[in-house]
Amino acid sequence: MFDTAREGYSTMGELTTIGFKPGLSLLHRLDPRTKQLLIMVLSVVCLRGNVIFLTLNSTLLILLFHQSSLRLIQFIREIRYFLFFLLFIFIVRAMSFSEDFYPVFVVANVREAALVCWRLLLVVLMGVLLISTTRTADIRASLIWFMKPLPFVNERLAATTVGLVVRFLPLVLFQAGEIGDVMRARGIEKRKNPLVRLIKFTITLFRRVFLRADDLVDTMQARCYNEYRTLPELSFTKVDGVAAGVCILVMLTAVIL
Amino acid sequence: MRCSRLSSLVSIIQTTNLCHRFSDGTQSLSDVSLSFQEGEFTVIAGANGSGKTTLLRHLNGLLFPASGSVSVCGKSVKKDPSAARRQVGMVFQDADSQIIGDTVYDDVAFGPENLRLNHSQINQRVTQSLSDVNLDGFDDKSPHNLSGGEKRRLAIAGVLAMTPRVLVMDEPFSNLDYPATCTILGQLLKLHEAGHTIIITTHDLEKVIAYAGRLIVMDTGRVVRDGVPAEVVVGIEQYGIRPPCSIQLGKGIQPWVS
Repeated sequence: MFDTAREGYSTMGELTTIGFKPGLSLLHRLDPRTKQLLIMVLSVVCLRGNVIFLTLNSTLLILLFHQSSLRLIQFIREIRYFLFFLLFIFIVRAMSFSEDFYPVFVVANVREAALVCWRLLLVVLMGVLLISTTRTADIRASLIWFMKPLPFVNERLAATTVGLVVRFLPLVLFQAGEIGDVMRARGIEKRKNPLVRLIKFTITLFRRVFLRADDLVDTMQARCYNEYRTLPELSFTKVDGVAAGVCILVMLTAVIL
Repeated sequence: MRCSRLSSLVSIIQTTNLCHRFSDGTQSLSDVSLSFQEGEFTVIAGANGSGKTTLLRHLNGLLFPASGSVSVCGKSVKKDPSAARRQVGMVFQDADSQIIGDTVYDDVAFGPENLRLNHSQINQRVTQSLSDVNLDGFDDKSPHNLSGGEKRRLAIAGVLAMTPRVLVMDEPFSNLDYPATCTILGQLLKLHEAGHTIIITTHDLEKVIAYAGRLIVMDTGRVVRDGVPAEVVVGIEQYGIRPPCSIQLGKGIQPWVS
């Protein structure tokens, strides 16, 4: 956890790779409702998609990352702990036990395990792409629009909760980076027990994150925060229609081919 | 909602026998009775832990008194904290923790959006506030990528967009280099000239004392001195505050920047 050298992470701006990046790309210009709807549908299709669909979807994502001036490699580095989780899933799915209860890799399972990991990775990358190209306020406004027809749901409160999670994610990453630096500076590597290192890191991180959350609440209160604040104006354009059409074509490959 | 014109004759903020105790039992404010007039430039000085920040948080309704009272424009802050927050804009010490929006524009718009203004009013206020702090053209920048001084100015713009009558600032010059401090100081003086009531806390008097009309000294949660800076500053070391160099050199209070 503390061994990975981080290159040049000195300011909040450099660290918040997962977080909104202002821009004028195609994704930035799409209505947030279109983006959320397409991500929801694509994610569902992704979980059952074949290799052709996954390849097309991956190509599309790489192009969108590039077009949005976002560095895919940087994102992959940010979600490296999730990659370990995917590796764990791959091993569990690919392995089986012999009659003598020895763990063995089954070739037939490896393909399926790889597909599962590929699908999960694509879902996460789509989410990251949404967060990076959509203002938190727009995500919130869009969620309110989607949840408004639902009975017994306080759509504003629910959307605010999601918005705060999205808003807080980069802060958590930033705090984690800072704590990692502080601990390395004080020789945490000399502690050989990874559990001790993990506990010390986690407790400090939680304390810092909760303090930061307190600060954020104070700041919001000081500026008269209320759930019924003015929402951003959302509007569909032709670009939304084109984006939906392209995504439907990609999704058809999962159904037809 | 504005105070009536008559209120300019009386105090805009009044604290009466204000006491505050933290949950761990620490008495942070004891019997603080102060009155702030509209248009004043007040500096509250004190060593670390003297209760300056706690006092400011009471003025903005972020904390409520254990005993005593705080009123803004004659209205109890405890009864109507939202009204107090509209009148008293607070700039926190840590500019980073004050950033809420994804862009500079969004951050400044946060307050007006909470006041439920329409989009054209919001746009007008954001543009004006950014212009007031010389951040024109920064609208689409990420606030996290700004310099320390720019972040502090952004925090001021975020508060100005709510058109408060009083601007309270907690250690506005902390962690700033010389040029950024000069810029912030210039902005403050400009805002004061424009009619804003300004209350600043600091433990470093050097930068602002020449421009303040009133100096309040706090020590262990109590107001120990209150008056004209030239008189209050004499012997201020006993409260853990370093007197300005010009005072130590016997030249009286001199402006920090020309």
